[in-house]
Amino acid sequence: MRAYKDLREFLSVLEQERQLLRIAEPVRLEPDLGAAACALAHLGESSPAIRFDNIAGYTNAHVAMNVHGSWPNHALALGMDKEAPLRDQFFEFVRRFQQYPGELERVASAPWQEVVIDKDVNLYDLMPLFRLNRGDGGYFIDKPCVVSRDLDDWNNDDVENVGVYRLQVKGRNRIGIQTVPQHDIAIHLAHAEERGEDLPVAIALGNEPIITLMGATPMRYDQLEYKMAAVMQGAPYRVVKTAKGLDVPWGSEYVLEGRVLNRQREAEGPFGEFPGYYSGCHQYPVIEIDRVSHRKDPIYDAVYVGRPWTELDFLQAMTTSAPIFVQLKASFPEIVAVNALYTHGLVVIVSTKTRYGGFAKSVGLSVLSTPHGLGYAKIIIVVDADVDPFDLKQVMWALSVKVNPAGDVIILPNLPENLLDPAGQPGGMSHKMIIDATTPVAPDIRGHYGEELDIPQGMDAWRLKLGALIKDLQK
Amino acid sequence: MSQTEQAGQHRFCPRCRSATVKVLSTSPVAGVWSVFGCATCLYAWRSTEPDENTDPDKYPAVFRLKPEDLPNLPVAPSIPARRRSGAG
Repeated sequence: MRAYKDLREFLSVLEQERQLLRIAEPVRLEPDLGAAACALAHLGESSPAIRFDNIAGYTNAHVAMNVHGSWPNHALALGMDKEAPLRDQFFEFVRRFQQYPGELERVASAPWQEVVIDKDVNLYDLMPLFRLNRGDGGYFIDKPCVVSRDLDDWNNDDVENVGVYRLQVKGRNRIGIQTVPQHDIAIHLAHAEERGEDLPVAIALGNEPIITLMGATPMRYDQLEYKMAAVMQGAPYRVVKTAKGLDVPWGSEYVLEGRVLNRQREAEGPFGEFPGYYSGCHQYPVIEIDRVSHRKDPIYDAVYVGRPWTELDFLQAMTTSAPIFVQLKASFPEIVAVNALYTHGLVVIVSTKTRYGGFAKSVGLSVLSTPHGLGYAKIIIVVDADVDPFDLKQVMWALSVKVNPAGDVIILPNLPENLLDPAGQPGGMSHKMIIDATTPVAPDIRGHYGEELDIPQGMDAWRLKLGALIKDLQK
Repeated sequence: MSQTEQAGQHRFCPRCRSATVKVLSTSPVAGVWSVFGCATCLYAWRSTEPDENTDPDKYPAVFRLKPEDLPNLPVAPSIPARRRSGAG
């Protein structure tokens, strides 16, 4: 466990661990930055972060990408060994997640207050904004932590919200925001608009790696991301209040303060989104920025989003799996692990012990009624306790031999689904499917399973011995 | 290339072909690029981007918009009813 004080400290750890590439040669904003970050996603699951320090048109701009974009980087973000297996990262994430809440550490000043612009804001001058994919309707800030409070409950810290929402820069100080109805900021915005008031927001960019993960985690409305970040990093989370009263990470590179304009919507998008498709255009809310603060020589942090897998999938991996696991486990202690790594949990694989016939199907139905299940989980695969849901070879074996479609597939019609799922019909609605890939147990007596193969005696000892010999062989 | 010449090349929005193009900003290092924005459909582009993002004739058909379709784009989230005064 480790509390990184800011993005800079994490980048220097990535560099020490040989997980950061520095590009000193001149690069163009388009198409170089998006293309390079996409290339890293195609280079495997151990790709480093990348930092560009010579960007056309700027004297002193810095862009970091792929900061969370591999399992080693994800492990280092959690303060774990960079070779920590996926399964270990899941159980450690869950262990910390269940320690909620941690503490806030409020301090009076932060490095991001070094430079302040409070008139004639021009975001294009202040940060190297760029188009990520060719069909994007403009330049998006896609890895921000957007902070808001509930105007109906202003002093209640627990309902303050930190969320990662895409932001389209449309003018020098004008930004469009995607507030998906399932997300907490949509509640804040609805309350503000019912009152007829603007909603104050602070947009923190370039953060240490944990708060970004927490901003992407579907937590309860009354759980504060900073208090979750505190338990994730094993130390109180350091924040500074803006003049409006919003808590912002101490370590941010940039802080943009503004207002979501009351009862206004205008064209936004498209943006290449997590399902691997462009989102289309909508009329979305609008933010006007009044003030920008930033560190000297700020680093602009962005995430490449494309056809999975990309950095975004690492950001949405454990952050999606852990809450579903904890919520299921509260009702069913038999649950062993949950893999919701695929496309933000549109597919969820649950490993569980089975109490009696039909149990796995009930578990699958429960996934659909978790908060994430409402808007995302569309295909649920339930496997036995001895199948590792993170090992797709094992999952495919279970699907191959444990499923008889005659009795193991349930399709539920017309359930709510995320608007960005292109299969929705109409958008926002979809059938959902549960596949029971567990071995039938009494009184479900279907199939003729007999004895399952096990491993020869002494295999574990040989595995250790041979593993060491192979390591020597490949040195 | 002067800014006037650049603006001449960028008179029409690549996406919706409206003639409502404004220079949103120019590069902090003078003369490297300009960012243009369409006041109608809010598309933005940089003078140095590939043609398919800057030239109305090369802009991919699949991403084009018609100005008359803009009011029909789905609204999300919907705008709630105003509370009556004193209702909290």
